[in-house]
Amino acid sequence: MSQGNIIISFESAWKYLTSLRDLRAPIIQGIRTHRTNTWWDEHLTEDNASFLKKVITEEYKQQTTDKLSPLKDEPWPRHEWVEGSRRVGLVAVKLGMMPVWTKSGERQVVTMLQVQDCHVVKHLSKEEYDGHTAALIVGGKNVSPFHRPEGYLEVFRNAGVPPKQKLTTFCVSDNAIIKPGTPLYAAHFRPGQYVDVTAKTIGKGFQGVMKRWGFKGQPASHGQTKTHRRPGSLGPGGDPAKVFKGKKMPGRMGNIYDTTHGLKVWRVNTKYNILYVNGSVPGHRNCLVKVKRLTHTHTNSQVCEVKCTCPQVEYLFEGEGSAFIFSASVFTFSSVKLKKELCTVLSMPAQSLTLAR
Amino acid sequence: MFLVHTLLCQRSNMAACTRRTRQMLGLLRILRNFPQNERLLSTSVLRHNVASDGPPKFTPPSKPVIIDKTQKEASLRRFLSPEFIPPRQRTNTVKFSVERKDMIQRRKVLNIPEFYAGSIVAVTMTDPHVNGSLNRFVGICIQRSGKGLGATFKLRNVVDGQGVEICYELYSPRMRKIEVLKLEKRLDDNLMYLRDALPEYSTFDFDMQPVHYEITGDVPVNPLKVKMRPKPWSKRWERPKFNIKGIRFDLCLTPEMMEHAQKWAEPWRPYDMLKEYDTSSLEEQIFKEVQENLRK
Repeated sequence: MSQGNIIISFESAWKYLTSLRDLRAPIIQGIRTHRTNTWWDEHLTEDNASFLKKVITEEYKQQTTDKLSPLKDEPWPRHEWVEGSRRVGLVAVKLGMMPVWTKSGERQVVTMLQVQDCHVVKHLSKEEYDGHTAALIVGGKNVSPFHRPEGYLEVFRNAGVPPKQKLTTFCVSDNAIIKPGTPLYAAHFRPGQYVDVTAKTIGKGFQGVMKRWGFKGQPASHGQTKTHRRPGSLGPGGDPAKVFKGKKMPGRMGNIYDTTHGLKVWRVNTKYNILYVNGSVPGHRNCLVKVKRLTHTHTNSQVCEVKCTCPQVEYLFEGEGSAFIFSASVFTFSSVKLKKELCTVLSMPAQSLTLAR
Repeated sequence: MFLVHTLLCQRSNMAACTRRTRQMLGLLRILRNFPQNERLLSTSVLRHNVASDGPPKFTPPSKPVIIDKTQKEASLRRFLSPEFIPPRQRTNTVKFSVERKDMIQRRKVLNIPEFYAGSIVAVTMTDPHVNGSLNRFVGICIQRSGKGLGATFKLRNVVDGQGVEICYELYSPRMRKIEVLKLEKRLDDNLMYLRDALPEYSTFDFDMQPVHYEITGDVPVNPLKVKMRPKPWSKRWERPKFNIKGIRFDLCLTPEMMEHAQKWAEPWRPYDMLKEYDTSSLEEQIFKEVQENLRK
């Protein structure tokens, strides 16, 4: 590589990088050799590295804009909603929490989930997935391709979409399958709907039995000898003469996937693609979160599945100016014909879509 | 003549203004014909008329200054309410900007004046249980906490010998009016020690009249040092962690006790670089944004 600005083609640079990554196996079997892994930057000059970074960002932008127009990228046919059909969900980023007041003056707390670059990445048919339902793999936030393995990036290359940080699978009925590459936005959910949110909980490390399982422990005084937070007895005595499997004991707590069910969507900000979801959600700030429609129907009629076509106006938190603002920056179309195309992408009826300033 | 006319305009409404202008112009047209008044009235209109023979050029009347009596004069100080400054966290800035929009939206409807811990504030809120009734409470602001939409402030007063503290949310839709009866600062940001002070320092009359305060210049600092009830207090206010300057420790504690309290001093705190949070540039940016959006 000579000095100065070298304009190398993207393809050749990519081949070079991938070739470096395959040099993992030792040259001669049986001899303990030092692994010759290199990182993408190691054998490149600064100019080349910066060039690659620039090229990658431009490519991402191009890919996203290509997928934005449903005219260039024809979507799959849209089907009618049927009782029992399941739609895709979204992958969002947990921003933070804030208060929200109802019309009667009651205060609720709300978590803000921002949908950043959510694309459908792959479609698995019934046979490929589990034999019962079809599945759609959806990806979240965009991420750099440089520190990711080749196999991971291949999926995205096939879909024509930039690589994502988180991939999740949504079980979907056959009438709700979406073409890989379609972008998904926060408007997928409407205020008044109920969602389940799944995320990895905050890791607490190795924790004792009181924090992990909520045991009561022992009294602080009155003669307790060195026993204040211990689990106490481990089970019945001589008859089983063993400790049952699954006994609650100290151990690693957190950093596992957990779901909060039945969270009401209060508000949807379509300019920044933010969902305002009731209550708290597992995970730390800026973590990626899987949002899907409520699957378990409660006996309480208020929480029942709402027909996904038209939004229930009474659930809309009125007085919120930004609730349904489709700003010009998100969708650049203005004519009615293109509006219809948009609706096929978002799978919702044309009447409910309002384009406002 | 025009000075008089503009003064009149300030006091009257638009319709009267235009009528008066027409009257004035009519008068001027009449006066124009008398050449001896040319030197007395050196108006530009006359000169223009003398130069060209066409009809007099229409000069639009000066815009009337609308004095909004419902809102007191907004402070001309560079004051940014503390809840706008984002805390030192690893949060996405989008969250703060979106929340700030909501806060500005609310501020356009309800005027939230400038006040500090130590100023006397009167708050009118709607009662959630009785339709249409309003509750008014007057008290000294002892604490302003919280960031963003959930910002709160606590008002303290002694009513019928009973100390009462109410925590209000600044952006709650139940708030009807927040008016500052006396704007001043104290030696501390947090006046929670008033709970252990003599009740005279927390009693304020509900029918207190608002005290006039300057819109420009510095906020007056009240150097009052408060006398405390005998110990035990709710918190050990003498400890350096609270850093209280507004208590008369010499009347309630011995110098030995003060020295003993210094055992809990943490002299390394001001040098802790990880706790440094310089908000000056952020504040300026946010102040500009807020002012701009409020004017819209």
